[in-house]
Amino acid sequence: MTSNWSCGRIAHLLLWCSLVVALLTVSIPKIYSGATEYPLRPGGALHTTDSYLKFATGAEGASKNLISMFDSMPVSKPIVIFIRKGDAFSSGLGMTTAYLASPHAVRLCEIDGTHPDNELSLINPDKVAGVVLCRLTRPAWLPAGKVFGSGLEIVSIGGKG
Amino acid sequence: MNALGLFGAFGTLFAAGYGLLALLVCRSLRLSLTEQIAFSWLFGTGAVSLLLWVFGFLADGLLLQGIVSVVCISLGVVGWKLKTPLHICSKPRWFEVVLTAVITVEIAIVFYLSFVHTLGWDGLLNWEIKARYAFANGGVLPAAYFSDTGRAFSHPEYPLAVPFNELWLYLWLGESNQFCAKTIFPTFYVAGTFLVAAFTARLSRRTWLGLLMAALLFFVPQITVEVGCASAGYADFPLSAFYLAAAGCLFCASKQGNDVFFRLYAASLALLPWVKRDGLILWTVAAACGVFVILRTRKSPLSFFAFLPGIVIICGWRLYLTATHALQAVDFLPFNLETLRTHLNRALPLLSALVAEFCSLPTWSLFWFIVAVALLYALPRMRDPGVVVLLVALVAPIVLYLSLYLFSSWPNYLDHVGLSISRLLMQVAPIGFLLIVLAISRRPEKHPQRVQMPNRATCAIACSERTAVVELA
Repeated sequence: MTSNWSCGRIAHLLLWCSLVVALLTVSIPKIYSGATEYPLRPGGALHTTDSYLKFATGAEGASKNLISMFDSMPVSKPIVIFIRKGDAFSSGLGMTTAYLASPHAVRLCEIDGTHPDNELSLINPDKVAGVVLCRLTRPAWLPAGKVFGSGLEIVSIGGKG
Repeated sequence: MNALGLFGAFGTLFAAGYGLLALLVCRSLRLSLTEQIAFSWLFGTGAVSLLLWVFGFLADGLLLQGIVSVVCISLGVVGWKLKTPLHICSKPRWFEVVLTAVITVEIAIVFYLSFVHTLGWDGLLNWEIKARYAFANGGVLPAAYFSDTGRAFSHPEYPLAVPFNELWLYLWLGESNQFCAKTIFPTFYVAGTFLVAAFTARLSRRTWLGLLMAALLFFVPQITVEVGCASAGYADFPLSAFYLAAAGCLFCASKQGNDVFFRLYAASLALLPWVKRDGLILWTVAAACGVFVILRTRKSPLSFFAFLPGIVIICGWRLYLTATHALQAVDFLPFNLETLRTHLNRALPLLSALVAEFCSLPTWSLFWFIVAVALLYALPRMRDPGVVVLLVALVAPIVLYLSLYLFSSWPNYLDHVGLSISRLLMQVAPIGFLLIVLAISRRPEKHPQRVQMPNRATCAIACSERTAVVELA
């Protein structure tokens, strides 16, 4: 038994034991905080998009309402989504909206500033089903749309065709 | 209703995987229960997603679901008839029971975490989006999706293994459900943990060491709780499980005459490019290692056919993308010598970003430091082709991934690195555990008798069950 426990073997054992203990010491607090950060929430079919939209706009359970609104628009026409350059929230909202807007084709338009007046004026209303403004200001001349929380507005351009 | 649907989806996935495993093993190898579960899951997810894609050209809706279900059940029946022999372990020791309990708790926590957190950004907008759109279109991705510039952010060119497994769940549930879709990912964690336990036990010939390594996998924050972790709905951990399966099987196949593990390697290898685009790089590395093993162990030239399924999948997917006029990713500049020459100045900042990532304790804890120590142990053992395979499988993808950033088209390429490097490293992290266990269980060559543990499953034993202690001869 004693001959099996050479100095090299003891050093080897000590090295690996200390490495494992060090790994656990560093990891456990991080994993504990990561695991206890959020409580368990009821899950629904749209729970991820609901969470994203709540985070970005404050609106609860908005995904379903967005889908119903897109469903009321003609599928043959695309939806134009305006997002703000350099604004991660705006671009996140835009992509989440594009995700929910299926089966409509979507066009993501990134603009500088907060007023998409010029870009909106170029749109032919006959060729677009709706316009989505993500953390952007709607021009006064555009009819008011449905507002979801703060920062997301959907304007339906034409009825279901 | 949801529980029944999930049961049906998971049951068919496992049945298909088990059938494929049985066909590949052909009763010539004893696999532990954990190995059988892990391989069944990996092959099942690969098979079902491929079947959905292929049969999607011919059918949709209930018919598509029916055809794929019939194939899965048939494979399950074949598996049942060919039953893969189970490796019966000797009576577990008390610390093995404790470690098994720890792993069970860890798996429960990963499941809990997957339900607490939402799908990650890429999990929703790169992967689940494809499952949702395919489900709404009767199980087939609409051709228009691939060329829809408004949804180019969702990377239509990414392969379909992960989204089509989510789709499989949706078809059984009868609705697209972001919450239920998440159940796939902790199951990949289970498969990964089981593979780490199984391979490290085979490598070290000590069950408790395998269990310890599997338990330690949980303590790598990037795998458990960080952005892009195993439960976040990203494809990186599933890819790492496939890569681990390929590299681990190749290590075992590097022992002369071990053809069953080589077949398992070939099957895992083929699925790498089907899980994620980055899988192509892992496929290249694992295939190069495969060529090395074939030549070094003088396997039959027929072994080169092992690369054929992967090549078929790669070419098939490329053809499909071309036919659907899929938008191409714009994350990288053209890969040519001119771009390389003009961007070589990025090399040093990239290297320092990589070192910073290795040293990031909140993300990796001491994992990479321990792997570095294990690498030092492995260097003197380079004569063993299995050790070379593991070293190359760990180091080569990291070098290749880092080189890719030389071609990044992002305005600030270091942002590109910061956003993705931890997930790319996670793809090879489980290989690190194999190297660690090799280092821990190193034995002086002058005392070979100490390695004799005929009751333990080893790669060498696996060569032939009729000569269970062949490595002692």
